[in-house]
Amino acid sequence: MSKTRVLIVEDEPHIVESLSFILQRADFEVDTALDGTEALRRLSRHIYSVLILDIMLPGISGLDVLRAVRSDRALDRLPVIVLTAKGQAADRSAAEAFGATAFITKPFSNTEIVERVCQLAAGVSK
Amino acid sequence: MRSLAGSKIRALRKNAGLTQGELAQRTGISPSYLNLIEMNKRTVAGALIDRVAAGLGVERSELDDTAERRTIDGLNELLSDPAFSGRPQGPSTDLEFVSRHPEWADLLLRVYRAFIDRNQSVLALADRLNRDPFLGESVHRILTNVTAIRSASEILETDDRLSDAQRSRFLRIVAADSESLSATARALATFFDNPEMRVQSGTAMEQVDALMLDSDNYFGELEQVADDFRKRREFAGAIAGACDAASEEFNAPLDSVESRRFRAIMQMSTPLAQPAVMRLVGTHPALASEEARSYAASALHAYVAAAILMPYEQFLDATERRRYDLDALSRQFAVSYEQASHRLATLRRPGAEGVRFAFMRSDPSGYITKRLPLPALPLPRYSNACPLWAIYAAFQSPGATVRSFGTLPGGDRFLFFARAIEKRPQTVAFPRHLLSIMLVCPAADASRVVYADGLDAQVSVPVGTTCRMCPRHQCGHRQEAPLFL
Repeated sequence: MSKTRVLIVEDEPHIVESLSFILQRADFEVDTALDGTEALRRLSRHIYSVLILDIMLPGISGLDVLRAVRSDRALDRLPVIVLTAKGQAADRSAAEAFGATAFITKPFSNTEIVERVCQLAAGVSK
Repeated sequence: MRSLAGSKIRALRKNAGLTQGELAQRTGISPSYLNLIEMNKRTVAGALIDRVAAGLGVERSELDDTAERRTIDGLNELLSDPAFSGRPQGPSTDLEFVSRHPEWADLLLRVYRAFIDRNQSVLALADRLNRDPFLGESVHRILTNVTAIRSASEILETDDRLSDAQRSRFLRIVAADSESLSATARALATFFDNPEMRVQSGTAMEQVDALMLDSDNYFGELEQVADDFRKRREFAGAIAGACDAASEEFNAPLDSVESRRFRAIMQMSTPLAQPAVMRLVGTHPALASEEARSYAASALHAYVAAAILMPYEQFLDATERRRYDLDALSRQFAVSYEQASHRLATLRRPGAEGVRFAFMRSDPSGYITKRLPLPALPLPRYSNACPLWAIYAAFQSPGATVRSFGTLPGGDRFLFFARAIEKRPQTVAFPRHLLSIMLVCPAADASRVVYADGLDAQVSVPVGTTCRMCPRHQCGHRQEAPLFL
């Protein structure tokens, strides 16, 4: 049986590296993208169970990626965890409006993020 | 309006060791009348004030209550500040308070101004912290580094199956992000250490206000500089030259010819005026900050330029002949309406005074950008003035003069006249920039002023100073509840 696939979209390589490691340890197959363009390219080619999306990305922003995901019929039900470094109300409400499934504010704990990904991958939204 | 002179007379009499009877005798009035004066229940003016001063052996100016009135205006503004609402006492308390405890009144006012200053500093700092891109970026970097460090540390701490290579790799991540975090922290420390980070005082303009008020908006020394400028041979033709240059200069089409001419004169007169301006700026105790001194220097150089273009005696003579008609004066002296208006408020040379005007300039939002009050007409410093004042109605018909008689709650009557002018012509990229200029004079002087012509002096609009200070409960224009019941 193939592993559940997760896409991490985050421009900070060290965070990507640690996130990938802990999710792989939790038995997920992990893809990564360092910017919005790469993220959209990967989303168009592969099927993911969960998307972890940083909101502050160079070029196409995390919010733009989220909007594109939600306007795509094939992706509109994909669980999306939005990472926000600012933790600010404006970012959060914009992401909420665009259909984010969950929010995790940096700096997060590994346990917190793995648990959330597991829940969403299993189809539990809360 | 009640006078404070009585309290001063009482204090000076006691200092001189005189009884009421003795001073009354020296002054040629009854002791009971002197008692009423000392209780501030009768005004003292004209020849009587000279006799009282002589009886006390002091200068007439020592009985003058202008400074106290200014303190009262300031305290009334404090009373009308919503931050201190709920005080049960009315402004009459201030009159007693100021006359009996002048030092305390002055201290209270200083504390209030310091409070306003700090409030504005806090707001400015908060605004800066919220909007400064460097700070926003720094916070983002800190959170990113901390996230990377936390995540890698947790892996190092909890994962027993790490290979040596993996352990080294995550240790390197911790080290690298720690280093980056340190750099960000150092940059932030430098940022906050920078003197430019200091919030500029919100009171610089107030300090300049204080300089103008203390001098009654008249500077004899600068009038002299202006006269010297006009007489000096090397400046002969400079004024005409500035006029020609201003007319022919097409590079700055956004400024009026009058503004360019004014600026050119100011530039030419600056070297001559600089010593006098620096002396005034350097010695006035109110000018506490560099910013205030800089504003004050600009204002005083502008004063000199105005005095060059509108020489005192010539301008005073013209104002009386033309009955303060600002359009006629603007044409005669080739200055703008605003320049002529402001000059009117400087005609306060002792012994050669014009009609005393209060001057006020506001933008359409109600922000007061220039103010010069009269003793009986305080102009608000921090809040909006009475919406019935002509200065606001003038925005409804820019270019036209709005005028009316107005009566303050205390019964003092004034002639108000205002005009909204275009500060600079509008362009596609720059929306119309209107400022309203208002002059106010006591109704008693209105017959000398052309703007009272045709107005029925018996018809006077009931006005206030600010809503919170105004006891006219039924006023349909009220925006805030009155502070006094």
